[in-house]
Amino acid sequence: MATLPQLIEEDIERLDYELRELLEKTDASTALIIDKGGFLITSQGDSRQFDLTTIAALASGADMANQTIANLVHETNFNSVYQQGEKHSMFVLCIDEQCMLTVIFKASLSVGAIKYFSLPAAQHIALQLKIAQQRDPGSGLDLSELNLADTSDLFKRKG
Amino acid sequence: MAIINQATKELQVKIVYYGPAMGGKTTNLVQVHDHVQTAAGNKGKLVSLATSSDRTLFFDFLPIEAMSIKGFKTKFQLYTVPGQVIYNTTRQLVLRGVDGIVFVADSQYEKMAENVESFTNMEENLKTLKLNLADIPYVLQYNKRDLPNVAPVEYLEFLLNNREVQVPSFGSTAHRCEGVFETLNMITRMLLNKFIRQGTPQYA
Repeated sequence: MATLPQLIEEDIERLDYELRELLEKTDASTALIIDKGGFLITSQGDSRQFDLTTIAALASGADMANQTIANLVHETNFNSVYQQGEKHSMFVLCIDEQCMLTVIFKASLSVGAIKYFSLPAAQHIALQLKIAQQRDPGSGLDLSELNLADTSDLFKRKG
Repeated sequence: MAIINQATKELQVKIVYYGPAMGGKTTNLVQVHDHVQTAAGNKGKLVSLATSSDRTLFFDFLPIEAMSIKGFKTKFQLYTVPGQVIYNTTRQLVLRGVDGIVFVADSQYEKMAENVESFTNMEENLKTLKLNLADIPYVLQYNKRDLPNVAPVEYLEFLLNNREVQVPSFGSTAHRCEGVFETLNMITRMLLNKFIRQGTPQYA
């Protein structure tokens, strides 16, 4: 499975900037960049009223299911999915092989505008990920600050 | 694969509980959710995508954070797969991006064929994702040790852990939370040691 490059602060700042721009242009509530394995990479907008960690896990699961359905109907890929609700709706757009952009917005907003502005945002995000990849394609990660205080009991049972 | 976010000092790791149907995978997650000792706010909600009869349909999902790791905010995402044979496509989907596996076997004698079948199915599904079980940290959990008709641990070891490199295994009674945390702590330790040793998980 292909993997993302290691992102540094500059990358995250750029990704956050693109998400903020998208929210400003569309009036959407929240925008997320999600790894297709289920991890939330970064988000902007309202993070209080939504459980973004769980949304990331479920959205990636739904995306994987959609891609499988696409194959079954002889499509290579469903590039985007729109889920319409009564209060909030959600639009998911593939960024690249590893990531997807998810936008949560009030159902009263036009999905057309969300789609229109999400496409260039996804392209800019993909470009930044490419820059990160080219910067140091074989880079490992620095876990020097990781300190296992008590390896015998990482998770403790109550009581 | 695991995400390391150097900007926010976050480490995110995916652990999948795999095994035959009705073996206790969801029960493991429920027990962790009910009993884990956490600092405020670092235990997520347990999400189950299940049928009306509580059989896992897609997956269960529980995000938690380990208490005793300093330097990085270390988030563990625990998933189960549906054990029923018909849901194989779903199992493949859930395995995507997996970092570590807990294989939950059912200790009852009559479940041995299902255990072996599920283990083989896990290896095959990993291959479809271009992953090799030998490269992924995993542990075995022999569940339902409280039942009268269980096979000896040695027999389970012979069936499931009879390899060049043997992995850690634990007897458990998941519904009483026995063996649940021991298993989780072991797979977590194995994962962190692998990351520290290799220094090359993925990204962010």
